[in-house]
Amino acid sequence: MIRTSSIPTIIRLLLTTLAVLTSIVIRAQDDVPERIDLTNFPGEIVDKVVVPIPVEIFSVLDKLGELDWGNGISIPENEPQTTERAILALTFGSLVGEGFIAVQAKDREKIQKVGHRVLNLSESLGLASAVRPHSLGIIEAADLGDWERVREELDNTQQTVRETMVRLRDEELSGLVSLGGWLRGTYVVTRFISEAYSEDKAELLNQPGLISHFREELASMTGPSKSSSEIRAISTGLARLEGVITDEEIISEEDINELREISHTMLEEYYFGTEDAAN
Amino acid sequence: MILEKRSNKLLRLIAPGLLTAVCLLTVAKLYAFVNEAISIALEAATPYVEQGFEVREDNWSGQVEPKKPLLVRHQLFRGNEYWFWAGTSWTGASVRVDIFDSSGNSVGLESFAEESYAGVRVLPQKTATYYIRMVAEYDPEKAAAEAQAIGVLPAADGVGEFGTSVDWGLVYGYR
Repeated sequence: MIRTSSIPTIIRLLLTTLAVLTSIVIRAQDDVPERIDLTNFPGEIVDKVVVPIPVEIFSVLDKLGELDWGNGISIPENEPQTTERAILALTFGSLVGEGFIAVQAKDREKIQKVGHRVLNLSESLGLASAVRPHSLGIIEAADLGDWERVREELDNTQQTVRETMVRLRDEELSGLVSLGGWLRGTYVVTRFISEAYSEDKAELLNQPGLISHFREELASMTGPSKSSSEIRAISTGLARLEGVITDEEIISEEDINELREISHTMLEEYYFGTEDAAN
Repeated sequence: MILEKRSNKLLRLIAPGLLTAVCLLTVAKLYAFVNEAISIALEAATPYVEQGFEVREDNWSGQVEPKKPLLVRHQLFRGNEYWFWAGTSWTGASVRVDIFDSSGNSVGLESFAEESYAGVRVLPQKTATYYIRMVAEYDPEKAAAEAQAIGVLPAADGVGEFGTSVDWGLVYGYR
């Protein structure tokens, strides 16, 4: 009798204990405020901007439909004919971006070509010893068809070069590497979206924060490269991109075509020869 | 014979200096290349890599006063899933991480905090800039207990004691 009547009590006790435990767990998670005031943040705002690699956007595009990535590869015919380090840094970033496109296409030959080009370019920048292991890693992984590792090595290559530049007090060049990669990725994305427009795809270009970051970086350059015709043209291009991409607004098909034209013109300044009709 | 004695003496004189220089160079090199807080954040990311998350090489790190929140801005793309992992290597320190959209609304879907590392998952509802908030805490009693547990003797006055900040590192992965 006592036992029978005590069963619900035990259950009640168990339920109460469970409820208390649950409330503790929920309270621990409730530490996160529902909302914070970003205009009056009571702490430190970190200055560093990490620029997404092109493959972060490519992977979304892939989810939205099948694309002919092979058609997006456009490795320049010739190696850069300049010793201007700012231009070499931009080209380096764009070549890494090209590598990411070639990985999406799973094109071994083109990836290996990018791997060799990256190494040559790093020699011109005086960074070959840091880049060589990654460059060889790209070539080897492409040979094995290990696409995930190729992506890792491409990201590693870019990161190694940027860190080495920062160590050598070449922060400006480090930022240009990121800009070059972003620009190459942006151009190919606008190309694909303009071929089969949808609002979902176009939304991927809603990146006003990044454009503003790149504009600030170019504006804060202090070396002689700042006044080179290429850097001035890229600054103008970024201002034009910023004019098209305004936060909170749908990016129209017309906007996409404009973004495509602007980014192509910017790449023609240092990457695609003007003779390459890389459309 | 005299020459040999002189060179031995010379070696004895310069050996400690050389050894110190080599040690300093090694420490400097290690300091330059190993970021403990990032290593811990990457450790937290390891199980998720097996779930298909690709972890970026680029990251954020620095020093912060305990309880003082940090805000990191980052561009996310709708259609991807992201995890952010934070870490600290200070004994007795812990971290928490959460994420907000551009209006300041909390958008983390899942999170965890395990002493020296923490993580938050997000599925962005729109392509935009998001804000990752990280807070570090420091508990001197826990630090003393942890130090004792690993057999570290109490610090001499002011040596190896907590200053004003702890290290932090933040990494992310997407799929």
